[in-house]
Formats: sequence, structure tokens, C-alpha cells
Amino acid sequence: MADFQIDAEADITDVVCPVTFVKAKVALEELEDGQIISIRINDGEPVQNVPRSLKEEGHQILKLSANGDETYNLIVRKVGE
Amino acid sequence: MAFTNEQLERYSRHIILSEVGVKGQKQLLQSKVLIIGAGGLGAPAALYLAAAGVGTIGIADADSVDLSNLQRQVIHTTPDVGKAKTQSAKETMEAINPDITVNTYHTFVTARNIPELIAGYDFIIDGTDNFPAKFLINDACVLAKKPFSHAGIIRFKGQLLTYAPDKGPCYRCVFKEPPPPEAVPTCRQAGVIGAMGGVIGSLQAMEAIKYIIGKGELLTGYLLTYDALKMEFRKIKLPGNDSCPVCGKNPSILEPFDYEQTACDLKGGH
Amino acid sequence: MKLTVSGNVKEYAGGLTVRKLLELEQVETPEYVTVSVNDEFIPTGDFDTAALSDGDSVEFLYFMGGGR
Repeated sequence: MADFQIDAEADITDVVCPVTFVKAKVALEELEDGQIISIRINDGEPVQNVPRSLKEEGHQILKLSANGDETYNLIVRKVGE
Repeated sequence: MAFTNEQLERYSRHIILSEVGVKGQKQLLQSKVLIIGAGGLGAPAALYLAAAGVGTIGIADADSVDLSNLQRQVIHTTPDVGKAKTQSAKETMEAINPDITVNTYHTFVTARNIPELIAGYDFIIDGTDNFPAKFLINDACVLAKKPFSHAGIIRFKGQLLTYAPDKGPCYRCVFKEPPPPEAVPTCRQAGVIGAMGGVIGSLQAMEAIKYIIGKGELLTGYLLTYDALKMEFRKIKLPGNDSCPVCGKNPSILEPFDYEQTACDLKGGH
Repeated sequence: MKLTVSGNVKEYAGGLTVRKLLELEQVETPEYVTVSVNDEFIPTGDFDTAALSDGDSVEFLYFMGGGR
């Protein structure tokens, strides 16, 4: 995590699909182009779908790392308005 | 304005859409739509706009719920018979979505009250069932520079058009004045398939939503007709009309006015 | 001559006016129908004189009063 300058954090472990993606999307909409966010996501469906959906929206996935507690940290750079 | 988790869940299918997103959903929540007539067209329009989170919905109707309404006016239920349609509609809309505010106007819409009525709204939906009311809404909206959706349904057919300021033609460009009473049938005399209100009223709601989020092409400059028996939709291009008495170059209609209503129209509520 | 009437291309005899076409197409209450030809409204008073020519596109627009 230290490899990136994190501008914002979001936790989407308290919601289920498809709100996981929606909550991540909302968090990203509040950032400026190029800013980086760290998103905490659950194992299973969220970790499979959320990074892919964010990529489809044009954002850049920088890193996905397991936290060892069935959650992951997803580092994303916002691309676009 | 930040969304709660509950709101994110409620509106998730909207927010996922790139054309809506957070911005569009906020625009919907901040928007105000007036529906005139809580009947066959107004009922589905009101349900979908309430569900969509249109923040303020006005509903105008002087009528009470009648048993014969329930075949198509899906916002009212059997226990609502006898209740003011505006109240019944408000209760259903608020049950669907407690996020929204519903303003009720239990009154006939006339030339006297329509300017004040429409003033606070961003978009108007004409869900009335008679020509005097449809012309009144057209004139008032054109004069006040309010976008609106006009529609009519009868038997197995329906049609609609959208007017936005300076994006005519308006309803009066196409149909100069109301036909004499009884010259063309209205749905009370002719009947209508209930689902027709669902199809056309939902299209009206869709126009309102597109206008609010500013995405896509509105049905301005066209009349969309639907013939259910032939299963045929047609999008007919409408010519402009510079000599239109309300939106033309030298308008003669400078303020809204009422046409005389037939006893039958009045009995029905508008 | 060929006319496009309400979106359908059909063959008609020449020398047709709007009035005659309304009769041929058995349009109900023609005095309350708005007619456009090639994207221009034809005033009701001109139905008898407005001549149609090969290739014209004609639309009939009907009052529809219901809604509740």
C-alpha cells in the first residue's frame, strides 16, 4: 500500500452486490481525475466483480491485495471526469 | 448531499447506468414534476416517477376514486374507492418511496389556477382525458416556457408528444382547436384497454426522466403513435407551424383560457 | 403514382387531392384530422384543392382525447 499515494478510502464490506459496485462508483465520483482510492472489499463475488466493473468504467486498477481476513484492498486510480 | 446505504441500494440500478450515475440520481431527487390527472396515464407515470426518486411530485385531480377506474388506474386500490384520487395517489407513492414529497391539488385545473400550479415545477405531465384540458395545459406550458408531455389514449391506441421551450411544435401547432363535443369519441364513451395507460403513461414518465437527467433525445418534433392491435409504433415527424396562435411568430393567445366543457367532461372530473 | 401514406408505399391513380385520398383511405371524421404532406401541414380549408403528386409522403394525425 505504501507504493501509492492514497487520496481516499472506502469500505464496501457492509453492502452486497450490486450495491458494492454502486458504493465504489459513488466514492470514485467524488474524486478528481488521477486521484487514487483504496477500497476495502469482501472475498467472493465482490472481489470478482467490483474490480472488473470499475475497469469497464475506464478506471485503472493498480493493485489488489488480500488482508488475510477474507477482505481485500483494491487500489484504483480514477480516470476521467 | 451524500447518499445513505439505503438510498444506494434503492437507486442502485439507476446509479450503475453511466447515463444516470450519482449525478443523475441527485438531479432526479432534486427535480419537481407535476402530473395533471391521476388516472389511466397519470397513475403509471406517478408510480414510476415516485419509484425513480423524483424528489417532488405534484398531483392534480378533482375526482374521487370510482370502481370503474380500477381497471386501469393502477395507483388506486379497491379500498380507495370514494377517496380523493390525489390522496389515494399520494399514499401509494409515499409507500413506494418515503424519500419523496408529494403535493396534492384536489381541484379542477383552470386558466385561473394553472399558471400558479405549474410555476414551481420543472416538467409537466398531461394525464387528462378531455380536449379543453389538453389545450389549456399546452397553452399554459408554452406561455410559461415549461416542458411537458402530452398524451392521449383510446380503445387500443395511444399517442404522445413532448414539447420543450423553443423546441416545438406544440400540441396546438398540430391540432388548432378542440373538436366540438362528441365529434370525436373520448375514452369514457369508447373504452380503453387498461394496459394502454401503462404503456403511454410510462413513456411520459420516461420523457420526464430523460429531460431531468439531460440524456438522450426527447420526443420533441414528433408524434409517437401506438396501435396495440397491429402491434405497431410509429414516430411521425411533425412539421413546424409558424402561424401557431400560441407558439408561432405572431401569437394571438397571450394567456391561458378555458374552453367550455361538456357536462360529461365535468362529471368525469376535469 | 406512388404515395407513402402513413408510412406505407402504395400505388394510386393520378390527379388525387387530399380530400379524395381521405375518402379512398376511409378516414373517419376527416374534418378533424390534421394532414401533413412532405413535412408541411395542409390547412383543412385546402383539402379540396391540395393536389398530390408522385412520391409524396402523407400523414394523418388524429385527435386522441382519452387519458383517464
